[in-house]
Amino acid sequence: MNATGAFGLRVAESWTEIRENLGRSALQALGVMVGVASVLGGFSISDSHEARSDERWRKLGGMERLNVQPAAAIKDGTPSALQSANLGLRNLDADEGEEMNRKAVNATSVQKNARARVRSTYADQTRQISGIGGDFLPLNGYEIERGRLFSTSELEAGAPVCLLGAEAAAVFFPTGDAIGESVSVEDARVVVVGVLRELVFRWRDGDGNAFAWRNRLIAVPSTYVATRMQGDRYQRVDRVTFKIPDLTLMEGFANDLVAVLKANHRLQDDFRIDDIAARMRKRQSQGQVYNIVFLLSGVLSLIGGGMVNVNIQLASLKERVREIGVRMAIGASGREIFKSFLTEAMLLTMLGSLVGLLLGVLFSKAICSFLEIPALLRPSSFLLAFGVAAGFGVLFALYPAWKASRLSPMEALRYE
Amino acid sequence: MENVIVTRGLTKVFGANGNAVYALRGIELEVARGEFVALVGPSGSGKSTLMAIIGCLDSPSAGTYALDGEPVERLSGAALARIRNEKVGFVFQTYNLLPRATVSRNVELPMLYAGIGRKQRRTRALELLEKVGIPEKADRLPSELSGGQRQRVAIARALANSPALLLADEPTGALDSKTGAEVLGLFQQLNRQGHTVLLVTHDPKIAALASRRVELYDGLVLAPEPRAA
Repeated sequence: MNATGAFGLRVAESWTEIRENLGRSALQALGVMVGVASVLGGFSISDSHEARSDERWRKLGGMERLNVQPAAAIKDGTPSALQSANLGLRNLDADEGEEMNRKAVNATSVQKNARARVRSTYADQTRQISGIGGDFLPLNGYEIERGRLFSTSELEAGAPVCLLGAEAAAVFFPTGDAIGESVSVEDARVVVVGVLRELVFRWRDGDGNAFAWRNRLIAVPSTYVATRMQGDRYQRVDRVTFKIPDLTLMEGFANDLVAVLKANHRLQDDFRIDDIAARMRKRQSQGQVYNIVFLLSGVLSLIGGGMVNVNIQLASLKERVREIGVRMAIGASGREIFKSFLTEAMLLTMLGSLVGLLLGVLFSKAICSFLEIPALLRPSSFLLAFGVAAGFGVLFALYPAWKASRLSPMEALRYE
Repeated sequence: MENVIVTRGLTKVFGANGNAVYALRGIELEVARGEFVALVGPSGSGKSTLMAIIGCLDSPSAGTYALDGEPVERLSGAALARIRNEKVGFVFQTYNLLPRATVSRNVELPMLYAGIGRKQRRTRALELLEKVGIPEKADRLPSELSGGQRQRVAIARALANSPALLLADEPTGALDSKTGAEVLGLFQQLNRQGHTVLLVTHDPKIAALASRRVELYDGLVLAPEPRAA
């Protein structure tokens, strides 16, 4: 049996065998095809959606951020002495947080909001004014389009300068460049020093801009809001954001920060730490749940397909008993029969998988184009779908192959 | 003269203990190289069982059997498969061709199991089809052929690996008498070319074509006839 052991020869032989029995072969490959298409398609849809969502986060300024916001510490009743003495979230908290761990933090920003009547020659509206400090713009995905950022001295002094989001610039200065012009915030004149690039994000191609609200930004130094608009000498803020590029440091930093803030806040839990990365992890684990569901449904269809396969093979085995008898009579050993059955199954699994991968790609493209998101196909999904299918294909071929190989040549020849 | 078949006390028992059935009860048989032997006997005489053992499709329960000088009674399944492949050429009553494989591929099959390369197989198959008189049918399917032609394909297949023994089981049983006579003529011709033929039949007229008759009855060889030439 020397060269019959050669794999190439057996593959060629199996290929001939498959071509001679097209109908049966197609049915056998069908189960694998559907399974592979389902695994790949499912993964791709889930990945595509996740990629879209990640893109949104990137445009929001990245996900390696930790937000601290004030929270109500006084539930009801009269505040205690400590509660009354508490000053809440302040600029100081941002500074101390950054100071605490300079290795982890690579940018910090604060935000202090106020509502105010804003007027220009062309418009008169009540708007939210964002007092910003630190690295607010990069941390929130904003970029300067024209003009300049606030200078350090402007930020420290609370100078009457502002930056306009694209929408705000268009509303208050519809006819021309806003740079150098001024708006009235309440009754004070504030000079526009920069205009921000328009931010656009659409979940689907035809959708409205999900970031439209962010273009409404009217930003002044946070110190301006605190000192000139609200007269708050403690410089309380509505949000502190730390950028922690190394996500492994995030949790430790958050724990340390709680300790520092609590000490600053007279032991009150009047703040809320929002770890965006943790939120992302949660979302990713949700994505994993989807992936497991898709994998499971793929595996189930592979098992279903596999069972059908076993049945087809056992049925065709009956049909082939005489043929196997003939093959044995003219010199095929049981081993040879086993190998040829297995090779045939492997070949069919491969072909079925390839068609299934193609179907999966089409499937994913179709769904993604329906959802109007770009389709993402990861090589790992291909490998996984292919690997799982190949495994099941071979697994379910073992029994019929074994059964065929155990036939006695005499009985097989006499089989009617 | 060298013997292709030598059996001594060949016994085959089916079933066990209480209800054992003796199909063969000590067969002593010798077939010399180049002989044309007809194996005859009524149904139930053990013909098929003996043929299966001689063809290495089955193993005897007791006794010894040497095929082409090689003792085979103790060989395992894989070794028997190799012997069948190299030393035995089967021709069946119902042809037993693979229905979806072309004539040429059917003839090539024993060579495939012997590990012969594709080109060489094809060349040899065409030679053999020429020899059995149907060279033009190489790329047809068995279903496109007449019964006689199919049996010729089966004979070509049996000859593929130049076996020591051609073993034919009622090879004309499914053919009309004229076609049957042609096929028998082919066997005679092959015998004249030096092939050893063992033909199993129940038809005395066919048996008469052989150089020697071995008659089986109740699992034993009856009245051995003197060997002709």
